[in-house]
Amino acid sequence: MNIEQQYMQKVRKQRIQWFVFIVVLLALTVWAAIGTNFNLFVLFSGLSEGFSFLFHDLLPPSPATLPSLLDAALDTICMSFVAMILGSIIAAVIAMFTAVTTTPFPRLRYFFRAATALLRNIPVLIWALILVSGFGLGNLVGTLSLLIVSIGMLVRCFAEALEEIDRGQLEALKATGASHLQMITSAVLPQFMPSFIGWSLFNLEINIRASTIVGMVGGGGLGFMIQSGIKLFQYKQVSMAIILVIVIVLATEWLTGRVRERLI
Amino acid sequence: MTLLQVEQLKKVYPDGTVGLKGISFELEAGEFVAVIGPSGAGKSTLLRCLNRMVESSSGTITLQGNTITKVKAKQLRAVRRKMGMIFQGYNLVARSTVLTNVLHGRLGYMNSLKGALGLFNKQDTELAKALLNKVGLSEQMYKRADELSGGQQQRVGIARALAQRPALILADEPIASLDPAASQTVMQTLYEACKADGIACLCNLHQVEVAKKFATRIIGIRAGEKVFDGAPEQLTDEMISYIYEGAKHEEAVGRKETA
Repeated sequence: MNIEQQYMQKVRKQRIQWFVFIVVLLALTVWAAIGTNFNLFVLFSGLSEGFSFLFHDLLPPSPATLPSLLDAALDTICMSFVAMILGSIIAAVIAMFTAVTTTPFPRLRYFFRAATALLRNIPVLIWALILVSGFGLGNLVGTLSLLIVSIGMLVRCFAEALEEIDRGQLEALKATGASHLQMITSAVLPQFMPSFIGWSLFNLEINIRASTIVGMVGGGGLGFMIQSGIKLFQYKQVSMAIILVIVIVLATEWLTGRVRERLI
Repeated sequence: MTLLQVEQLKKVYPDGTVGLKGISFELEAGEFVAVIGPSGAGKSTLLRCLNRMVESSSGTITLQGNTITKVKAKQLRAVRRKMGMIFQGYNLVARSTVLTNVLHGRLGYMNSLKGALGLFNKQDTELAKALLNKVGLSEQMYKRADELSGGQQQRVGIARALAQRPALILADEPIASLDPAASQTVMQTLYEACKADGIACLCNLHQVEVAKKFATRIIGIRAGEKVFDGAPEQLTDEMISYIYEGAKHEEAVGRKETA
């Protein structure tokens, strides 16, 4: 068999594979849609109801509720901020044990990895629900659940940043007779600072967004106001709260962007 | 007393690559020895075995009468601070100041926590400043290390090694990444500093002419074996071509070694 024939055979095989793939994908979609009663017509009829809810009930937002919401907004910001500050410090310490370049106990690396993966992979909503049953409703639960998930995310980001640092600088310090701790503070930290700040600021943005979700299950702040507003049919207050969330998220993004430019 | 005694030093890497095939030599205080040989011959491995950055497979290393092949923890730190090291890539902490980089040479003498917090005492700071003056970089003291040119960075590297008040300096291809003018300054600085303080120097070099110019003695290494050890005048052209012969073949081994 010559090259030409071999090639044609390969092309034919690939075509068949593509055909089978697309048929299977279509079949799965249809099956899943039937199983969940998904229907495009229902989608459109629901759309009109959605619009009427949006324009008659939600809008316009009621500015009169603003003063009572500002307290909650401040709570949201504080929870996110505290979770970011504590989270990034704790995560930085754990990451030092997790990254292959910096760990003093290479064998324990996987333990730290697995433990933080657990924190990260349980959604923030579930953490909040678990903690509410222990601590009751309030800002403490919101802060704690944000903190847990922040640590989970940041350890991973920090460890990856630590594994990318220039090992030559570590080698040089080791060769002077420096101790492990001295190596960490003198050669690792200067290299690690930009990613530490960058990821922590990004974490603040995530926390602000997540705090509304956490608030809805009892974690306090704006999310809690949104949830109770929906339950009490105070839709004008809900829309005001949503607008506040958007404003806070945008403001945080803008602010962190500025800080990042300055520091890095 | 002999400063450094190396006996039958061998290094086999976990993947089976042989780095050193049993090297022996002695080094007296104040000697300036150039180690020459093709890439991958084991020059870098040899230097790193001496300060235990790489663990040798067998053989003994004796520094100032003490066997250091197996020392651990605190003693190992004490051994390392007696040997300054200079690197091909300078290996300065890029985002720290030049002065801080020189002060790093004092870390081995400090209590771990104090050093970690960067609490250098006045004498250490004075010493660092004096050394920067010596290598001609007083003006650059408060600049970030990565703002300096390659030649300047290497001179900071020399100052860092000198800050250890070492008995021996290990220089691993100190001028391999530098242009001829900067190379000349760096070698001159290193040579004079060692000579002034009676520090012995073991310097890996690519350039045979540079080795001949500065060295009091030359060691030739080929495929992990010492094939020449003598005065620069004794190094004949035949010997040089013997040392570098088959360099192409050994480059394959060299790639494995540095990987």
